[in-house]
Amino acid sequence: MAKSSLVNWSRMKSPWILHFNSGACNGCDIEVVALLTPRYDVERFGIKLEPSPRHADVLITTGVVTTECADRLKRIYDQMPEPKFVVAIGACACSGGVFAGNYSVCGGVDKVVPVNAYIPGCPPKPEAMMDGVVKLLNSLKGPKTHGKRRGKDSSSPK
Amino acid sequence: MASVEEKIQVHLNDQLGGDAPQVQPIAKGKVFIQVEPSLLKGIVKGLIEKDELTGLIAITGVDLGDTIEVMHHLRTMETIFTIRTLVSKENPELETIIDLLPGANLHEKEVTDLMGVKFTGNLFDGHFLLSEAWPKDNFPLRKDAEIPSIDDLIKNPVVIDEPESIPGEEKYLNITIGPQHPALLEPERFQLHVEGEIVIGVTPRLGYVHRAVEKACESRTYMQDVYLVERICGICNACHVTTFCQSVENILGTEVPARGRYLRTIAAELNRIHSHMLLFGHAGLEIGFQTLFQYTWRDREAVMDLIEILTGNRVNMAYITLGGVRRDVTDTLKDRIRTDLAKLEQRMPFYKNLYENELSLRARLKGVGIISREDALKLCVVGPVARASGVKIDVRKDDPYAAYDEIPFNIVTYNDCDSLARLKIRVDEIYESIHIIDYALEHLPDGPIRVRVPRSVPAGEAVSRVEAPRGELFYYVKANGTQSPERVKVRTPTFANILSFVHMAKGINVADVPPAFVSLDPCFSCTDR
Repeated sequence: MAKSSLVNWSRMKSPWILHFNSGACNGCDIEVVALLTPRYDVERFGIKLEPSPRHADVLITTGVVTTECADRLKRIYDQMPEPKFVVAIGACACSGGVFAGNYSVCGGVDKVVPVNAYIPGCPPKPEAMMDGVVKLLNSLKGPKTHGKRRGKDSSSPK
Repeated sequence: MASVEEKIQVHLNDQLGGDAPQVQPIAKGKVFIQVEPSLLKGIVKGLIEKDELTGLIAITGVDLGDTIEVMHHLRTMETIFTIRTLVSKENPELETIIDLLPGANLHEKEVTDLMGVKFTGNLFDGHFLLSEAWPKDNFPLRKDAEIPSIDDLIKNPVVIDEPESIPGEEKYLNITIGPQHPALLEPERFQLHVEGEIVIGVTPRLGYVHRAVEKACESRTYMQDVYLVERICGICNACHVTTFCQSVENILGTEVPARGRYLRTIAAELNRIHSHMLLFGHAGLEIGFQTLFQYTWRDREAVMDLIEILTGNRVNMAYITLGGVRRDVTDTLKDRIRTDLAKLEQRMPFYKNLYENELSLRARLKGVGIISREDALKLCVVGPVARASGVKIDVRKDDPYAAYDEIPFNIVTYNDCDSLARLKIRVDEIYESIHIIDYALEHLPDGPIRVRVPRSVPAGEAVSRVEAPRGELFYYVKANGTQSPERVKVRTPTFANILSFVHMAKGINVADVPPAFVSLDPCFSCTDR
């Protein structure tokens, strides 16, 4: 228990993120990149953008999944080590958005890989993205330690 | 604008004699001719000899039922000159013009892939924009196309094989960049063929971001299309909407009120500033200059704030609409825009100095990725890429739209033809943009910001172009009297510029590929649509 809490704690404190654009209009992408820049600066939360799927904990996807990208997205997801999480950013990644139903569009990201968090918006503001990622990380805490850290649950680390 | 028609008619009469086709107007100041397919090449050749700035803007295919109409839109003699040819649907074939204008290469391939018109001399295997699993002999932009089910398309993914060898080049190594690669923010695949450290060729594979916007436009209403084309590219969205709206307004004969035109100009220029600053950051990332990335993106946030308070959203503005713009500016907002831009202008000498004097930046960019003036003209490049090679083209001056005919500004050109010039030109353009916005706010006319337009658009067609941050953006819209367009063709500036990367990458060092590439300001969501 203590060991897994430690792993969880470290996972929550420094999630490494892989950003993949599976067919976005760049609107969400520039907002994802804006997260790294001085005004939003998510690195202060330990969030780091990682170029390789093999080092990443969280896959952030933007845009619809085009037919050409569907297989690539799946392969990138498969390359990530467990446990892995997927965050769909923007209306397109959530549901296909304005492009849903077009001849080369599969739809949202959840058509291809399982999604843990949806952040709607076209594009969502960087604040919303941060909120989404933090909510995802909070969900890692699990029901046992959540809100019981002060004395009630003796098994949690002091 | 009779003079344009006459000028081209005189030229055609000189070249072809008595049987020259009649030049007709297509829209305000734009002309077309209808010719036999056999005459096409000769006319293009004649125009290139007559006007050295002649370049291909786009090739549009329109399904007319029994036949396919192929239109070559040429930028020549200060206008858009469209050459129409008809080909049969059973055996659609045309002669390629890539020997005259190598820049036509990708345009022809796109028409082949989506419309099924084969250009002899420019044939290829597989697909160009469509997914590799897409069935052969099925052309989605034809009206009678049978769209396969998406599940079938993704069930058996086709893995693209590495090419065995380039004909004539035996010893080389392939380096694949993309679709997922740290240097690319978007999925696209480039295969570098290298010999030692030297790149001897590049094979691009486009289409990873192909979202079928052109086809989707045909099934939606004009107002829905405004929001759809806005999402072709999140970076230059204002320009896409402006061009689409201008085309539709052209068919309708709508005059946008003066205040609306000025506000469109302000939105487009804010868009340009944010796009150029984004590029500086991206360039910093690609050449390993993190500080530049962080600095420019910090300064860029001020522009994003201005876009947000002017239009309501940071990125996709939904500001420009058919007949004008959707929100007015108040005096407080005007002051805010002026003060914030004045602050930005104070920061600009820092960047200018950086590109002119910073040794490490110059070492990475100077003399890298040369596109000579002759090549720029042949490859039909547009925007800052053309201007950095000494080709003075800028739609804002050549074919003024919105309020650009009333606002003084300069076109910046460089003759260095390298990556450094392509980035420096954007610093200077930010200065110009700030001054344009200042002037527009100062001289903002009173009156309404938009007029209401009818939902149905009468039959007709229009071409329109706009100087987007990356260059000339071109739209062709054909209306059929209903609430949805018959055909919408989008030719984005990055699509026109992508071939120049293949050209300039030949012979450069592998390590120079990212800076050379980024200096084009690539945007694949535009390229693929």
